Amino acid sequence: MSGMGAVVVVAALAVTAVAAWWLRTRDGAVRSTGTEEDGVAASAFDRLGVRPGEADLTVVQFSTAFCGPCRATKARLRQLQATRPGLAVVQVDAESHLDEVRALDVRRTPTLFYLGRDGELIGRSSGAPRPDELTALVDAHTGAGS
Amino acid sequence: MTAASRSVDVRGPRFSAWVTAVVLAVALVLGSGVLVAAQGAVFALGAFAGLRYAPYGAFFRLVVAPRLGPVREREPEAPPRFAQLVGLLFAVVGAGGYLLGAPVLGAVATGFALVAALLNAATGFCLGCELYLIARRALPARA
Repeated sequence: MSGMGAVVVVAALAVTAVAAWWLRTRDGAVRSTGTEEDGVAASAFDRLGVRPGEADLTVVQFSTAFCGPCRATKARLRQLQATRPGLAVVQVDAESHLDEVRALDVRRTPTLFYLGRDGELIGRSSGAPRPDELTALVDAHTGAGS
Repeated sequence: MTAASRSVDVRGPRFSAWVTAVVLAVALVLGSGVLVAAQGAVFALGAFAGLRYAPYGAFFRLVVAPRLGPVREREPEAPPRFAQLVGLLFAVVGAGGYLLGAPVLGAVATGFALVAALLNAATGFCLGCELYLIARRALPARA
């Protein structure tokens, strides 16, 4: 028996509980932005081929090949797009756009950016968004459901 | 079939994560570097040979899944397989620490692997997958 090992097990359980709580609060929560400089973000989106002027709301999703929840989020956005013509979605493979990943400070996948028609950044979220919250945000900015 | 196109029953990796968590917790309580090394071998099989050959996943597929009913959702193999590789790195450090006379290092590294396994089992969150982009960001672009 190892006393130290037992202590580590208890500590691991505590860390896991805190991490699970933190993820539950933070995952997919839309934050207003502020850390990234407008010019830097705008030019990064421009390099990615994002044209916000062409839709009421443009959602840019960063994904990687090793991201499980990215797939569900992608499917959800595709579904929303089918019924909301004001919504445009741009899918970005984070790994092949590392300069933009750094410029926009993307740390997790999926990370979503929400852009208005004027190119302004409405918000961003990391982790899979909750389906109802994503739908509500899209509806609020595409004029659907009203 | 390429590795990227393979898919697994989503319940398999979650089941494997629970078994992994139990094995690592027992290894910590016993202070057993050999058991951590054995778990490391399990990670290595999943990471290098594929999840089809990962022992816990195979047990799930052959014994547990038939009792649970049909597969409702499948997911690509790549994310959980990459996570096995990250688990292997921690298990190597953990087993090395225990077996080479640095038990504190062994316990701490094994503890990190335990947190990752528990988090995956309880919430489906894949820590190894999240670390992938952070590692790629820090490294220069591939030539």
